[in-house]
Amino acid sequence: MNLFEFCYGIIHWLVDLVNNLWYRLGDTLPWYFGDFFTAVGDFAASDGHLTFMTILLECIIIILVALINVLNFLWIFRKLSGRILDFYGPYYVGYRIGGWLQNLADGIKLFVKEIIVPKKADRLGYLLAPIIYVGSSLLILSVIPLSENFGLSTNESGEYVTAGALFALAAFSIAPFAILLAGWSSNNKYTLIGGMRSAAQMMSYEIPLILCAASVFLVAGSFNFVDIVDAQHDIWFLIPLFIGFVVFLICLIAEVEIIPFDLPEAEAELVEGWTTEYGGMKFGLFYMTTAIRSYAGGALATAFFLGGWHGPSFIPDEIWFLIKAYIVYTVFMWLTWSVPRVRIDQMLGVGWRRLLPLAVLNLFIAAVLKSGGWI
Amino acid sequence: MSEGDERGRAGVVSIEKAPSRIDEDPGLRVLRAIADSFPEAVSGGTQLKPGVLRVHVERADLYSVCRNLKESLGFEHLTMISAVDYEDRFEIVYHITSYEARLLLELITSTPKDDPSVDSISTIWGGANWQEREAFDLMGVVFRSHPKLERILLPKDVLYHPLRKDFKG
Amino acid sequence: MAEMWINMGPQHPMTHGLWNLRVKVDGETIVDAEPEVGYLHRGIEKICEGLTYPQIIPIADRLCYGSSLTWSHLYCLTVEDLMDVEVPERAEYIRVMSIEMQRIASHLMWLAAYAGDLGLSVGFTYTMRDREVFVDLLQALTGSRLTYNYPRIGGVAHDLPPDFERDALRAVEYMERRLKEYEDLFEGSKIFMMRNVGIGILRKEDGMNLGVTGPSLRASGVSYDLRKDMPYSVYPEMDFNVAIHKDGDCYARYRVRMDEMWESCRIIRQALRKMPEGRWRIVAPRTAPAETGLGRVEDPRGEAVMYVVGDGSDKPYRLKIRSPIFVTVSAAPKILVGYKLADVVAIMGGLDMCIGENDR
Repeated sequence: MNLFEFCYGIIHWLVDLVNNLWYRLGDTLPWYFGDFFTAVGDFAASDGHLTFMTILLECIIIILVALINVLNFLWIFRKLSGRILDFYGPYYVGYRIGGWLQNLADGIKLFVKEIIVPKKADRLGYLLAPIIYVGSSLLILSVIPLSENFGLSTNESGEYVTAGALFALAAFSIAPFAILLAGWSSNNKYTLIGGMRSAAQMMSYEIPLILCAASVFLVAGSFNFVDIVDAQHDIWFLIPLFIGFVVFLICLIAEVEIIPFDLPEAEAELVEGWTTEYGGMKFGLFYMTTAIRSYAGGALATAFFLGGWHGPSFIPDEIWFLIKAYIVYTVFMWLTWSVPRVRIDQMLGVGWRRLLPLAVLNLFIAAVLKSGGWI
Repeated sequence: MSEGDERGRAGVVSIEKAPSRIDEDPGLRVLRAIADSFPEAVSGGTQLKPGVLRVHVERADLYSVCRNLKESLGFEHLTMISAVDYEDRFEIVYHITSYEARLLLELITSTPKDDPSVDSISTIWGGANWQEREAFDLMGVVFRSHPKLERILLPKDVLYHPLRKDFKG
Repeated sequence: MAEMWINMGPQHPMTHGLWNLRVKVDGETIVDAEPEVGYLHRGIEKICEGLTYPQIIPIADRLCYGSSLTWSHLYCLTVEDLMDVEVPERAEYIRVMSIEMQRIASHLMWLAAYAGDLGLSVGFTYTMRDREVFVDLLQALTGSRLTYNYPRIGGVAHDLPPDFERDALRAVEYMERRLKEYEDLFEGSKIFMMRNVGIGILRKEDGMNLGVTGPSLRASGVSYDLRKDMPYSVYPEMDFNVAIHKDGDCYARYRVRMDEMWESCRIIRQALRKMPEGRWRIVAPRTAPAETGLGRVEDPRGEAVMYVVGDGSDKPYRLKIRSPIFVTVSAAPKILVGYKLADVVAIMGGLDMCIGENDR
């Protein structure tokens, strides 16, 4: 049973339950009321409507799973930073589960804060930027399946979005617009510089990232996540495309904006970069989105290079996928706490002079492997 | 305490009645060199203790004395500029260091109460720039031809100079 | 992007205190810079004119949160010069040992702040953790953790606590192990070297002309360390080297401070070994003659000088404090121009700002 069938079953059961009421009303009421309620019941039970409701439920489930993962990620982030940096990390809120509830508490705190818009800010852009940022990041998650059975699909066949991987990468690269919008509309010099840096950084790291993804598409011969993961049934792409994996990870770190590549929000020189003027839940959204994007990045790396949900079957496929994504994220965090921040020109230099040629080399290797039929 | 007397005696002996051979002690040599170059401007050269010298200088000749100190005598480092408000005068004390000779020279110049101004030496030692601004800010001593003589520690609109003795809260 | 002024401060993570660095940037490149100080001006020189000589010792502590012991030590040296007080030898050794501990603690705090500036979180927490060792030692010695109020005119407040020597030697051994670890952590990081080597070059002539002192000057290749050149206290008895580096960039300043910590460890060992028995304090006169006194020490940040004028009463007529960082920060525009905006953090962090003594 895949997610669609599961959701369809639930929706069907719910609609039946409610339709009992509508049809009974249609039977008992006079004809002019009765026809109306019968029509409502017919509409609710119609095929298109049921599918629509099913997809909505699927979205809700996927986003809930993603958000719970994000909470886990933030918790890992804090606990691991505590372990590395020699302090405890969250401890009291949710004492028995290792302070797991601390992030919920922080979220509640941020929710009850006042929404302040700076006087000279561009109100529309200022308020729109976090929404675009979060929305585009959640879009990525919507198309990444956790297993063959757990993903967004529109019919029982379990076929997911056809070009899902392409869609995920496209959604991944909406963020610079939101960041630039946030930086510009805040009307602050730090945010402006942060926004410019972020745009430059994301543009220049997008290209090697997509070239590495292209090598995966080339080898797998598909844009679909399921096909890509199935192509890794015998050997993970990590091994033939090792260069690509490394470049992909580095570019992901740059895209997610964590140290050593967190220049847009380099707190030492730009206060908080492009989020300087944001407070309350608007800041909370940005903060959460960093974790969402880390999760998405880990998931992409898992699906493209680490064999997706393949693993010994004593653990469910979905859990295998999450374990791999968590490991990628842990490596990110490990790196974050142990290296300093690079400078913007050095970073762009690395991007254009080192990573881009490596990515092209990787694409070349992929082409050779594919045309030679070795993979 | 007898130290003042000793300092006075040392000054008299070392500058005005010392034999004309080149002095062994680097401090005395520097004192002699200053006294020879500026016989009118400089007075009361003493060696307070080994390595620490004191010279009084007329304020009109301050700039040329400092130039000479830096260019001929190797005093490359201006340590400190302090302004002191005495009852009858302002004293501006320059502490100047020579890296090689390991000497500290205390150069004292005084200005009358009604005209607290001396030449700026910030073109000789760049390090004097902010210290002169500080002396101007807190003591109200004007340094002529200073590139940017503004208040530095206090806000720009303060009307008084707090380190003067006649300033009461 | 056209040129624009950016205020880095007064409330800004880079500043480590309350001051303002206005930089004019063309894109990301700095074309002009202008430090503004004075936000923390407390009028300490004026306050001191109303206090008796012993009362000023705690005030002198408040000059710098990073190395308060150095400043109270300097104040006591100055007043002892004014009053012609001979300090017992044991007190001199205790002072030297404690200010070297303070120097290590101060440099470690600098290193922590520097690592934090560069985004190296692990460097921040590890160095702050190990600074705690020396703060604890100083707490055992003096009774407090930040403003020690330990030196007295004519000695120190009290003798060493029991077992202090053992603890201090242990701490020094621990520190030497840790210093190796730090060198691996910092210099082993390619990114750290990228951010430091060749950044913020202060040429020797500029440093000398602008009155820069301390590690910043020694990193430019000038061997000027008051402990060696114009020794005070019992430094002539100690065997140590002056840390010098030729390059004058941020890495050189980092290297000089690391070397100074090694040398400080040596000095602490020697001071503990050579420390004689005897009195640690003598009674100093309450009043000072109408003369002037001068004290100079090598602060962790440079050459710290106090000039005191007595008038025969028990209060100083005038106390002038030379803060090393006040002069050093005036040289900041010279170092900053031409580098990138992100280098401001490395350069200003490398100068080791302390606003308490800067604004006085």
